[in-house]
Amino acid sequence: MSTAMTVKKQEDKLARVERARDRRTYTPNVDIIETNDEFLVLADMPGVAPDAIDIQYEQGVLTMHGKVEPRQDEEKTNWLLREYGVGDFYRSFQLGEGIDCDKIEARLKDGVMELHLPKSEANKPRKIAVKAS
Amino acid sequence: MSIIPWRNKRENRNGATAEEHPLARLRDEMDHLFERFWRDPWGSSFADLLPSGVGVGLRLNLAESENEVTVTAELPGVDPKDVEISVTDNLLTIRGEKKQEKEEKKRNYHYVERSFGSFHRSIPLPSSVDSNKVDAHYKNGVLTVTLQKRPEAKPKRIAVKTG
Repeated sequence: MSTAMTVKKQEDKLARVERARDRRTYTPNVDIIETNDEFLVLADMPGVAPDAIDIQYEQGVLTMHGKVEPRQDEEKTNWLLREYGVGDFYRSFQLGEGIDCDKIEARLKDGVMELHLPKSEANKPRKIAVKAS
Repeated sequence: MSIIPWRNKRENRNGATAEEHPLARLRDEMDHLFERFWRDPWGSSFADLLPSGVGVGLRLNLAESENEVTVTAELPGVDPKDVEISVTDNLLTIRGEKKQEKEEKKRNYHYVERSFGSFHRSIPLPSSVDSNKVDAHYKNGVLTVTLQKRPEAKPKRIAVKTG
């Protein structure tokens, strides 16, 4: 399958700005899957409520930011075991051109964000029939 | 479907993640160990005594308050029906499976970072916990198990009388 668009990680300055908050920011694990019609982004963001996620697509750059509310008062809690940290999720990708911005759809279920980025018509692969003469 | 240890990004001091290289993670783990030692050299927090390697691939946070012990685990995309929680002789066991979303052929993967498969973990609980009063809750991909303490284990406030 030809990849009309390149998906590459972007060195994001914004993430550093976010880290200036007093809480930690984590990079969510993602799967990015390309089909003929769309790009599908799946991101693990446990603890993010559906209304606490911010997704932006601007000039070929996709940015996702999920806010996580602290589950305990971090300072006052008596931790018996602490194997993972809790904080916001932030990540951004360069997706290039060719996304139909109006048709982007996002869903968040059980801490997994599902983002559909349909390709614009011009970017979909076409089958060219070979005529037998 | 292969069994892949649950990967959850571990923070380092910069707030970034140190998962890129196994050695970086080992170093992190060692740092963590030393930090814990210096904070509490004689291990009065029982966490140091826990065999934290029991089970595969599920990271837990355990918090204690006056009345209860709360265990939380990040399980994004796991159907609560596929999670099994049991308490036997003060040993809490969480097991389950994270199933992959329906997979289609003719797909082109650009990034594959999320992992799927079975997980299970057993941890000893403080003796103060009443194993009959356990409550589990799953919301936004986070599993919270709340264990009530026995009445006799709860701290008692003693009023100081004057006069």
